[in-house]
Amino acid sequence: MGMGMGNACYVYPGAPATPGLVTPDISFDRSVYMNGSVTMDDGRTIEVWGFTQGGMMGNQFPSPPMRVREGQIVHTNFTNNGMMWLHTIHHHGIEPSTENDGVGHTSFDVDGSYTYQWKASHAGTYFYHCHTNTVLHAEMGMYGALIIDPPDGSKRAFTGAPLYDVEAIWACDEFDSSWHTLNWDAGTCGADVGLNDLQPDYFIISGVDGASSALTDSRVAVNMNTGQALLVRYINAGYTPQRIDFGGLSGEVIASDGRALPKAVSATSWKSTAAERYDIMFYPTTAGVYEVTVEYLHWVTGAVIGTARTRINVS
Amino acid sequence: MKRRTFLQASAAGITGALTAGAAVLTWTPRAHAATVARTYTITDGYITQPDGVNVYFKGYSDSATGLNVPASSFIVQEGDTVTVTINNTLGSDHSFVIDGVVDSGVISAGTSKTVSFLAATAGSYLFYDKLNAPYNRAVGLHGAMAVMPSGSSDTLYAGSPTFVKQLFWVYNECDPAVNEAVRINAMPPPLSSYVPRYFTINGLSARPPGAPGYDDPTINSYYDPRTALAGYVGERTLVRVLNAGLCTHSMHFHANHVELLKRNGSVLADIWLKDVVSLDNNKGSVDLIYPFDPPPDAWPPVSTGNFVMHLHNEQTQTAGGGSYQFGAQTSIKFK
Repeated sequence: MGMGMGNACYVYPGAPATPGLVTPDISFDRSVYMNGSVTMDDGRTIEVWGFTQGGMMGNQFPSPPMRVREGQIVHTNFTNNGMMWLHTIHHHGIEPSTENDGVGHTSFDVDGSYTYQWKASHAGTYFYHCHTNTVLHAEMGMYGALIIDPPDGSKRAFTGAPLYDVEAIWACDEFDSSWHTLNWDAGTCGADVGLNDLQPDYFIISGVDGASSALTDSRVAVNMNTGQALLVRYINAGYTPQRIDFGGLSGEVIASDGRALPKAVSATSWKSTAAERYDIMFYPTTAGVYEVTVEYLHWVTGAVIGTARTRINVS
Repeated sequence: MKRRTFLQASAAGITGALTAGAAVLTWTPRAHAATVARTYTITDGYITQPDGVNVYFKGYSDSATGLNVPASSFIVQEGDTVTVTINNTLGSDHSFVIDGVVDSGVISAGTSKTVSFLAATAGSYLFYDKLNAPYNRAVGLHGAMAVMPSGSSDTLYAGSPTFVKQLFWVYNECDPAVNEAVRINAMPPPLSSYVPRYFTINGLSARPPGAPGYDDPTINSYYDPRTALAGYVGERTLVRVLNAGLCTHSMHFHANHVELLKRNGSVLADIWLKDVVSLDNNKGSVDLIYPFDPPPDAWPPVSTGNFVMHLHNEQTQTAGGGSYQFGAQTSIKFK
C-alpha cells in the first residue's frame, strides 16, 4: 500500500479550478482505493489499486466503467487524498486540453479535487487510467473502460455501424506480482525497483484470472444465441503484445482506438500492442462453445509468455 | 579499442541543412537527380544515461572525434545516386547495409570503404551494421535515410496525403550487459535474458520538469528539435519511425490521432486513424502524419497546449529500473 508523499520525486501536485467550467451533460465521481485485492485461481491474493465510484469504499477491479454519448460534455470529478499519494485520470484516446489530459508533468498530479472537463467527440472504445508513475499505477490496476455510444444511444459502435445485441468488454492485462508490493512513488527518485523488467506471472481478462475463472465468469464469458450480433470491445490493457484467437469464429474488425476503419477487416485472430483497442463484430451461425485464447507475447523474442481464456457460448 | 571518449548524448554534429541535427528537416526538391555524397566515421565511446551510468556505444559518427548515436540522418530524392564512405577507425569489422538497397560487405578494422547505390524508391530506410547481428546495430551502428518522391517536398509517396514538416524517430534501447559484451568482443547474453534498462528516441531519453538537463535539448528528448512535435494548427508533420532496437513498442499520441500511412515499407491500402501505433522490433518501421488538428475533445475548444507522445509499454518510461518519465518520450506542443 502506498505511503506518504514525502519521498516522491518529479511529481507536480495541484488542484486548480477547471478552465471554462460549464454545466456538464453527464458526470462521474471518482476517488482512489489502494487496498484492493484479487484472488487468483491458484489461491494467491494480489494487491490492486483503482478508482472508486463516488466516495464509496470498494475495490472494483477494473475500475467502474464510464459510459457517455457522442456530443456530450463530460465531467470526471476526481477526488484524491493528496496527503497520502498522488494520482491523475487520463482518459486514454480522449483528446482534451492540457489541463484535462491528466498527465502529471504537463499539468498536475491531483492533490485534492479536480474536475476533468471534456467533450465526447467520437463514439468508440476507450479506457481511463492513472498517469502518475504510470508504469506502476496502470500495472496495479488503475484503469477502467470508457465507452462513447452514438448520439442516439443505439447499440452500435458508432453511427453507421451495425447493430449489436450482446456486448463484451475484454480488457486483457497481465500482472507481474513482484511489482504489486511497491509503494505508489517507487523508483521516482532514481532507485532501481525493477520497473524496466516486467515478468508477468498472471494473465487476466477484465480483472478475472484467465487461467480458468474467465472461462465462465459472467463479467467476461459471453452467452448469446445464433442470429444475434456480438460486439467485442477488445482493450490491450497490459504492456506486452497480444494475439487474441476467436476460437473458430470469424469476426469483423470495424473500429480501432475510437475511430471507424475505412474498411472492415475479417479475422479469426488479431494482434495488438499496449493500449490499442479494437471493436469486433461477430455473427455466429452455429451453436457451440467457442474458446477464446489471448496469448501474451514477449516483447523481444515474441514467445508466448502466458495465456488467458474465455468463452463465447452460442445457443 | 583505440579510444574512449566520454560524451554526453548530444544533438551536435550538424553537417548540413539536410541532416537531422538541423532540427526540423527541410527539403527542396530538385528538377534532376543528383549524386549525394556522405561520409561516416565509425567511432566508439561512452554515453551517460539519465541515472549517471556511462554505457559503451559505437556509432556512424560525423567526425573521428565524435560519437553519433544514431548517425546523422539525411534526405535524398528518387533517382539520386548516393555515395557513402565509411571510415572504420575501430579494431573490429563492421558494415553498412540498407536492406534491399546496399550492402558494403565487411569493412575491416582500420579500413575505409565507399559504396554507391541508387535511391530508387521513395520511403524511409534504416542503415545499420549487419555484422554480429543484432548486437552491432543495437549498440549504436544505425541511422536513417529518407528518399523523397521525385519533385515532391510534401509527400511520402506519389499521391500520399501531404505534410508540412518531417521528422525521423529512431528508437533504440540498451541492456548495458550487451554493450559491454560487444566492447570486449565477448558473446552477448542470449536474447531471452536481454533486459534493457534505457530507452531512447534519436539517442536521447526524456527528463521531466525539475530534472537536471530538463531545459537542454541536447540532453532531453522532450525538447530535442530533431524529435519534438511542435507546430501550429494545420502544420501536419510526417514522422518516419524506425526501430533499431530489439523490443516491440507501442507509441501513444496525446491530443490527436495520427494517420498511419506505411508499415514496414509497405503502403497501407486504408489509412487508419490511431492514438496507439505498434512498432515491430528489429528494424520495424512506420510512417505516420501527426495532423496538428485542434484537440477534438477539448471543451472549451483550444488550439494551443502541451502534450506528450510516449510508449505505452510503460517499462520504457523508466531509466535504470525506476525514474518514471526518464524513458522514451517526447513532447507535442501546439504553438
